[in-house]
Order: sequence, then structure tokens, then C-alpha cells
Amino acid sequence: MSQNVAGKKPVSQPALGSESFWHKSGTRSVLASLVAIIIGMLAGSIIIIAVGISHGMGGTTIWDGIRLIFGGLFASGRDAAGNLVFSFNPSSFGNMLFRAMPLIMTGLSVALGNRAGLFNIGAPGQYLAGTAASLFVSLSIPNTVLPTWLIWIIAFFAGMLAGAVWGAIPGVLKAFLNINEVLACIMTNWIAANLVTWMFDSSNLKNMLEGTKSGYIYKTSAILNDVSIGGTIQTVGETIPENAELIASRGNVATAKMGLDSIFSGSQVNGGILVAILLAVIIYFMLSRTTLGYQIKACGANRFAARYAGIRDKQNIVMTMAMAGALAATGASLYYLSGNTEFFWSTYQSLPAIGFNGIPVALLAINNPLGVIFSSMFMSMLQICGDRLKELTAYNEFITDVIISVIVYLSAFMLVIKTWITKLQKGKGAKK
Amino acid sequence: MDHEEVVAAGTAQKQAAADDYVIEMLHITKEFPGIKANDDITLQLRRGEIHALLGENGAGKSTLMSVLFGLYQPEQGEIRKDGKTVKITNPNDATALHIGMVHQHFKLIEVFTVMDNIILGAEDTKLGFVQRKAARKKVEELSKRYGLTVDLDAKVEDITVGMQQRVEILKMLYRENEVLIFDEPTAVLTPQEITELMQIMKGLAAEGKSILFISHKLNEIMEVSDRVSVLRKGRYIGTVNTAETNAVELSRMMVGHDVQLVVDKAPANPGKTVLHVEDLHVPSRLYKHDAVKGVSFDVREGEIVCIAGIDGNGQTELVFGLTGLEKPSKGKIELNGQDITHAPISQRSKAGMSHIPEDRHKHGLVLDFTLEQNMVLQSFEQPRFQSMGFIKFDEVRSYTERLIEEFDIRSGQGPITIARSMSGGNQQKAIVAREIDRDLPLMIAVQPTRGLDVGAIENIHKQIVAQRDKNKAVLLVSLELDEVMNLSDRILVMYEGEIVGELDPKQTTVEELGLYMAGAKRQNGTKEGET
Repeated sequence: MSQNVAGKKPVSQPALGSESFWHKSGTRSVLASLVAIIIGMLAGSIIIIAVGISHGMGGTTIWDGIRLIFGGLFASGRDAAGNLVFSFNPSSFGNMLFRAMPLIMTGLSVALGNRAGLFNIGAPGQYLAGTAASLFVSLSIPNTVLPTWLIWIIAFFAGMLAGAVWGAIPGVLKAFLNINEVLACIMTNWIAANLVTWMFDSSNLKNMLEGTKSGYIYKTSAILNDVSIGGTIQTVGETIPENAELIASRGNVATAKMGLDSIFSGSQVNGGILVAILLAVIIYFMLSRTTLGYQIKACGANRFAARYAGIRDKQNIVMTMAMAGALAATGASLYYLSGNTEFFWSTYQSLPAIGFNGIPVALLAINNPLGVIFSSMFMSMLQICGDRLKELTAYNEFITDVIISVIVYLSAFMLVIKTWITKLQKGKGAKK
Repeated sequence: MDHEEVVAAGTAQKQAAADDYVIEMLHITKEFPGIKANDDITLQLRRGEIHALLGENGAGKSTLMSVLFGLYQPEQGEIRKDGKTVKITNPNDATALHIGMVHQHFKLIEVFTVMDNIILGAEDTKLGFVQRKAARKKVEELSKRYGLTVDLDAKVEDITVGMQQRVEILKMLYRENEVLIFDEPTAVLTPQEITELMQIMKGLAAEGKSILFISHKLNEIMEVSDRVSVLRKGRYIGTVNTAETNAVELSRMMVGHDVQLVVDKAPANPGKTVLHVEDLHVPSRLYKHDAVKGVSFDVREGEIVCIAGIDGNGQTELVFGLTGLEKPSKGKIELNGQDITHAPISQRSKAGMSHIPEDRHKHGLVLDFTLEQNMVLQSFEQPRFQSMGFIKFDEVRSYTERLIEEFDIRSGQGPITIARSMSGGNQQKAIVAREIDRDLPLMIAVQPTRGLDVGAIENIHKQIVAQRDKNKAVLLVSLELDEVMNLSDRILVMYEGEIVGELDPKQTTVEELGLYMAGAKRQNGTKEGET
């Protein structure tokens, strides 16, 4: 074993810092991610072409489809002649940021777990825990008792705490009973789904602010009249009078817009995206600069060596899982406290996709917290492209799901792609 | 077939007998990214000889054998079998050419019987049924012919390491291999078993088998081999007849300069007790019983106490119990008067214990971390390396650079080298440097020189003696008898979880030590002292 390693001992030792920018491991990783993305987009284009041909759609429609796959974010409709118009679209940009917000958090959650050698597939359950806690708190404290901004803050931290507790459960099972965290996470996911359904079903919060819409815990704020739901502007003011009194006492908990609504007019974006980005930066510095991050990484890379060195590996695992859970749940808090989102309470048969999407986000970002910001934005951009594709062409939005799955698939091959890049660079180096 | 063999034998006789090579590896060059692991190496194995392959860690022995086994493809050079050029692209090709290998770590299935292990992968079948009777007869014949006593119906997990090795040899013979490669076969054996193995190897050679013997133990090579080829840093240094050389010359060839084979040290001058162990019991990971059964001893300032014994007699568990990796089930451990029996590892560190672990890859290093990250594995929380929870990267860097300089740790990129990419010897040097530099009253060193070459061993032994001379207490656990005899001031022999004897290295012999290690002899004093 050690002899094999020894056999590769360099004969000539390269001077310190002789690696150029393009030959750095980090650069190669980023390039590998970009290659995965490009192959994914090309695969999407091929499907556009294939579907187009099999349905006899004609060259213009197919070309429109491909253009929307790559540039859907900038599509702003069709002109009088029926040609696609591309320009800066503030509403699309804003919605991209809004959708990226919870994804950044679940992506951070999975990335942090991966850095600690733990596969946190429990992000959906932690996200649900955060959803339930933040909605329960924000809907049950009357705004006559506390100012709405304070309710928001309490609800935000309640969500975070609930996620931490929910994430700590698989952590405890792993650390002290040596139960695989993947199994425990999957179990806690479904326990969360059923628990949350039961909690809302037996509560009086269900449809509190929106009597006409059956089965939804409606937004935490019903005072705003015009809100954008799922990308389209809806007026909901008419439905209010039924329980106006209740709304007057319970509503109006919503994330501050922080001026983002004027930059990205017509979108759902709010200050939550800034909170998410700030948290990503904090996690980045925590991992790379602090003793806490050093411990987490040491436990992740070699639990036995960490234990040998006196690092308390069990406590570390529990703490890391609690942090990961808190991050995922924070995504839910930010999303559902926005004031313009709805939560379908009867969730026992399904888990939130945003939780699972944290996995490809983290993979694509190579578990780098700063990379998570960009990979989340990219994933939500693809969703926007899908929406545009549906609106502006005969295609449906599911083609973007194919692209995402191809990218997820390729991110599993990231190491192989990285090796290709290394070889390619070597080949070039030899020619010189 | 017979006719051909006669013809082949005839042609061989026409040549000078010395040139009858069964395997020739000519001008082999194998490169890894940025490294020449084998640089124009030629190795010629005569029929019926025992040919030793000697070299330091990282000299390229393993790579060369991997090339012969078809695991790596060389960039240059050719391999000849019986004078004909052959292409070996995978291990199956090697097997087809009747080349077999006994690996350092045996490749046996523990829950299978000896018989099943021998025929596994080479079963003769009729209509899909394994022909056990015929196979058994063949194995029994082989075992008788070469004097390889094994219990064919015993499960591998129940037999001794020495017998497991004989099973591995039988596996090769059952496959009718002519070229047998032994990769450091003596590392796990007792002195008596080593003698036995040497006899078996000589017997095999006398029967016409050709043996490649990989080792860096000079006395074994001197005893058993006919010729020795020496590699150094991927290059071929030369081949000599064993009868015409000696250990000093061989070590010079291997290392490139003169090496002191015996540790030079002044008599010990022990002071007050640092480590006090009383009736310690430590549970076994694998079985329900205790692996350490009531061990008591002291280690004092300024002495090196060595725990000797055959692998698997509770030494590992004893160290786990002392260092906190495993909870003792009974007993008491005191370090400088402080009871640390149940203290967490970090507290033992603070109380003054450093630890060179047995398994450098599992415990000693975080292989995917850089060298500098590894150097502060225990000390990253000390104020000199962090403030307010933020790591002081400059401090870590300059600290690592100092240790690299002082302990001659060689690596590709200095402090930022990934530990995994370093050679085994340098990984070990890094651990030793880290633990010595912590400058604590007690150092527990488990097989600190395992798998290292003569030069590195000399260096580490000097460091350990220097620690002792600085009035530190050293507890050394070693399986190497030379190390035990050379380095220790007192020897405690462990057998089946108990200390069966305390010996003075100046007044004992390797043979006597071997008897204690094998459980054939024990001192009554130890038992009486307990009651």
C-alpha cells in the first residue's frame, strides 16, 4: 500500500507555486462543471430538435426552442411579426433570484454535509421542518401583540431551530449508534412529511387567510393586493373580506423587499436572497478559515485520524448535521415568509423537490459554498427558461428537467471530466 | 509436451547454465505523472535460484513487480519468459505464464476452509461440480513434497499467520507456478516461523522453482538468497552474488551512503515514573473477550520501554486503551500522577502524551489534507495557531516549514503537498516530526519504522533516543526484533494479552525473546506480582 504511493515519488520536485492558473485543481473543477453544463444544454437542444422533427414543428419553432434553452432568461416575448424578442427582462431576473434563494440554502446544507463526509439526503425533511415551524409561528402570533418585523424574525429563527433539531436526529443516530445517515435521513424525511400534514390538519391555521382556496396554507401576508404567483401577477384582494378581521390581526408578515422590487419590477424577489448569499459567504469563511471548519473537514476526510488527534468526532457529526439541517430549514423560512408564496399542507405523499435539488446544486458547485450561489442561480435560470419555452413555443417546460438530469448525471462523472481536462492540458504542454 | 521439455532442457544445457533465465525484465521504464518510478531497470531471474530484490521505500520494487504482473504497462523495455518475449497486459496473462505471488497482506477468505482457499479460482469441474477429491489429493501431495504442513479442513480465521502463509504458497504451487514472488513475507512472522519459511524457500528452489524475494531485511537476504539486485530511487544499481557480499555493502548500495546498523546510545538513566498502568483490561474489537488481560507496568523518565510480541497479542489494544482510542474495561492509567483512565483523547494530550500511531493512514494522517494541515492536527486550537477561532495560516506555514527543514521531510510541493501523494517514508517522518515536536513527557510510538528503509529507520531511531536523552519517557511497541533489541532499555513481552516476561536487552538473546513471544516460556514473577 504505502509502497505503491512511494513508487510515485517525484524524481524532480517542482518549485513551489509553479502551477499556472489553468493547471490549478480548482480551475479544473470549475471547467469540469462548465463542461457538464454545456453537455447538458446540448442534450436539451438535441431533444428540442428530436421532438420538433417528430411533431413536424418546422425549423423556426425548433430554432426558437433552442434559443430559449440558452437565452430564455432574456426572452421578453414576441414582436408583432411573431419573432422572439430578447432583452433584459427584470421580472425574469428577479424571479430567478427568488427561486435561487431556497435552493442556495438547501445546496449549502448538502455541500456542508459532503464536506464533513456526510451525505445529507435529509434536506427535504429539514426543509419541511423549517416550513412548519416558520408558518406556525408567523400565523399564530397576532400582529396586535408584536410588530410584524419581530414576528418575521422569530418565525425565521424558529424555522432554523426546527431544521437544526430535525437534522441532528440522523446525526445522533450516526454518531452514537453508527446508523448510516442516508437511511436515517430518508426515514426522517417521510416522518417530517407525515408529521407536518398532521400538524396542519389538526391546527386551525389551515386556510386561515384564504378561505376560498381549499387545502392551502396561504401566504403569511394577505394585505398586498397584487402579487406574483408562479411568475404571473394575480390579484387576490377580492378574497379577503370573508375573514378580514383575522387577516388584520395575523397577516402582513413578509420579507422586506430592500428595494429589489424596484430593480427587478414585476418579480417576486425580496431581501431573502441577500440573506441567503450572506449565509453562503459565512459558511465559506467558516469552512476555509476557522478552527471549526478545520475540525469539520478533518472529521469528513478521516474520522479516525480526527479522533486520534483528540477532535470529538461524534459531537462533530451531530453538530454538522444540525448546521446542515438549520441551513435547509432557513431556505424554507425565507421562502414561506416571503409573503407571496403558498404551502399546500397535505404533503404526506410527497417531499419538497427543493430539498432534493440541493444535491445537484452542491455537486455542480463541487461543495464550495460560493459555488453554490452560482449553481443555484443557474438551476433556477433553467426553470425560467422552461417557463418561457412553455409560454412562447409549443414545447413544454419539462425539457429543462431533462437538462437538469443530464447535468446531475454528468456531475457524477465530474472526476472523469477533470481527468480529461488534465490529460488535454498535458498533451498541449508536450507539444510546446 | 514431454518431448518439448526435453528439447528445451537440451538447448538450455548447450548454453552456459548461468544464463538459463526463466524471467528477464530488460530495460523497463515506467513513468507516472512527473515521476520515473522505474528508470531502465533490468532484472534477470535464473531458473531455480532465490533472487532477492532490495531497495528503500519508493525505490520502485512494487512498481517493477506490478509491471511483471501486468498491472502496469511499461513505457519502454521488454519482458522475456524462457527467452521468449511476452506481453503481459493483465494479471491473467501472468497466471497463464505460471507467475505467482504471495502478497504482503494475504489474499485469503477468512471464513473459508484452507482447502477451499487453495482451489478458489482454479477449480476443476465436471458438469459444473467441483472435483474436490482429485483436488484434495493434489494438494496433499504438494503439501507432503514441499513440507508445507497445513490443516486442510480448518477455517483460515482459526489458523496461525505462519500457516496462512503456507496456504498462500500452496495456492501458487497448486496453480503450477514456476516463478514465485514473495513480497516482504517475513514481516508478520515470529523468528521461529521465519527460519521455517527460509527452509521452505530453499526447498522450493531445490525443486526447480524460481523465487523472487522482495525485502529490506538484510540478514534474511544474506541467509536465503543466491543473488541480490538492488534498486535505488527508481534506478538499477546492480546485481551481486550473495556469497560475495555482506550486509554493510548491501545497505550502502541501497541507500547510497554508509549506514549505521546499530543504534549508538548511552546507558539509560531513568528518573521518576511518568506512566503507571495497573491491571489494565481492554476489550477486543472483534471478539467478546478482553484483548488485554490485566497488564501492569511503569514507564519512567529517560528510558525506552519496549513492548515486544507477535502481531495480534494485544499490543494494538493496549495502545488503544492507553491513548483513549478504546475504553478500558477495567484497571487504572496514571500519567504524571493524574488519573487518565477515562479521560478523552484531547485531555490525555494535554496531560502530556504524544502518540505515533500504528496505522499511519488510518490514524496518523488525514491523507486528503495538505502536509501543513496535518502538522497541526492536534494543536490547531492552541493560541499560537488560532485567534478567535480563525486559523493563523502564516503561523501554520512557518511551523511546517521549520519541521520540514529539521526532519528532512521530502515532498513535491512543500507545506501544500497533499499527504496522500507523499511516499510512505516521508509520511511517517511527518508524523514522527509532529509528535516529537509536541515535546511532551510521554511518547507512545507504535512500530515507528514499519515499512521504512534503512536510512529512514536510522534517522527515526536517533530521534527516539534523543527524546529519551532529553529525559522523556518512551513506550515503544515493535514487531521487529532488531528494533526491540537495539533501541529498548527494558523489554516487556506480550503474549495473548498478558505481559509474560520482563527482559533486559543486554542480557537476553533473540532466541530467548522468541520463546517468550511464542508463549513457550513465561516468567512466574509477573503472575506472582499481581496476586
